[in-house]
Amino acid sequence: MFRGGPRDGSVISEAQLRAQLTTTRQAFSTRQVFSSRGCRRVHAFTPMIGEGMVGNRQFDKVLVDSIRRGDEDAWRELIDRYEGRLLAYVDSRLRNRSSSQDVVQEAFVGFLTSLPNYDGARPLENYLFSIAAHKLTDHLRREGRRPTVPLSPGRSSQASWDLPGRARPASSIVRSGERRELEADALSAAIDAQIQRWKKRGSWRKLMCIELLFVRGLPNKEVAGRLGISEQDVANYKFDFLARLRTVIRKQGLSEDVFPELSQS
Amino acid sequence: MSEVSDSDLEAYLDESLPAVEMAGIEAALRREAALRERLVTASGRRDAGVHSLGAIWRRHRLSCPSREQFGSYLLGALSEEEADYIRFHLETIGCRYCQANLADLKSQRLEASDEAHGRRRRYFQSSAGMLRR
Repeated sequence: MFRGGPRDGSVISEAQLRAQLTTTRQAFSTRQVFSSRGCRRVHAFTPMIGEGMVGNRQFDKVLVDSIRRGDEDAWRELIDRYEGRLLAYVDSRLRNRSSSQDVVQEAFVGFLTSLPNYDGARPLENYLFSIAAHKLTDHLRREGRRPTVPLSPGRSSQASWDLPGRARPASSIVRSGERRELEADALSAAIDAQIQRWKKRGSWRKLMCIELLFVRGLPNKEVAGRLGISEQDVANYKFDFLARLRTVIRKQGLSEDVFPELSQS
Repeated sequence: MSEVSDSDLEAYLDESLPAVEMAGIEAALRREAALRERLVTASGRRDAGVHSLGAIWRRHRLSCPSREQFGSYLLGALSEEEADYIRFHLETIGCRYCQANLADLKSQRLEASDEAHGRRRRYFQSSAGMLRR
């Protein structure tokens, strides 16, 4: 049992957290997206799913399950579906077609190697991109283009890893890797729900504002200037967004200490 | 080079910034000890389990348009607001995964099918032996 998260002293087990995440995902169901490939290429592999259009996630799940069983046609299908975008991703950095193809090949091999550890919770495309990113990073390091990040912070003490604020040092909270994944999933679900609300309401400016603030880390003033809105509007959007996330995190019994940005004003 | 945010340093660790910005940060890391220190701190925070909203947003691709939406974008079939957001996501946020998806969709129109087919056949042949039966 994990202790020390919720402020009221109650505890939440990892099993309870998983159950909450499942409920959250069901309440804010992911968008259905449809395959763009249609019937461009016919293989012997045919997903045994119900009639009509199917979601990419469902198709990918069936594809991966078939690959686990050693289905070569399914493996060929996966390569066909994802090779182009992985190559574009890698080549944008390497600008060398031959080297880029080598890295993508390593990524595909890496995927097969890691298949026993892939549980399908993460979308297949995201998983493949992350493997490609690791292979690309390795390649860049071998070429001497990308410096290695030392493990030691050097003169900085471990305390400097913690962001300033009233939160107790996050680094002092020992959690398992699985626990961290569950926390990230919880926050991801909460952010996703808000993004879908903005999109549904046509609140594109709010979405752009929050994305600039947190994905690019831009200061309020710069965000206001780029979007042509006031700094007060930026501050208000930020406040509302963080308040909503804090509410969700508290309801799930998670510690805000591991999400230090939530304590920003 | 303009000030690099902590969010951008985390994106650098994930190899998810636009290529030009990645190269810019690499060059800056060689010159600036303070930036190297900040990168080590960002890496340490991540290893210590401190969550970052931006990193979670990027990693989970929470605002990325679907590939089908990119197809509609290329066809000019989206509303002005949706198209405007996609341009923002590609050019201002600089999502490299979405840039790759768009580039792939564009190249499918231009690339000779033989070239792509040959490339994919090589990937398959070099990896099919790893499939478990």
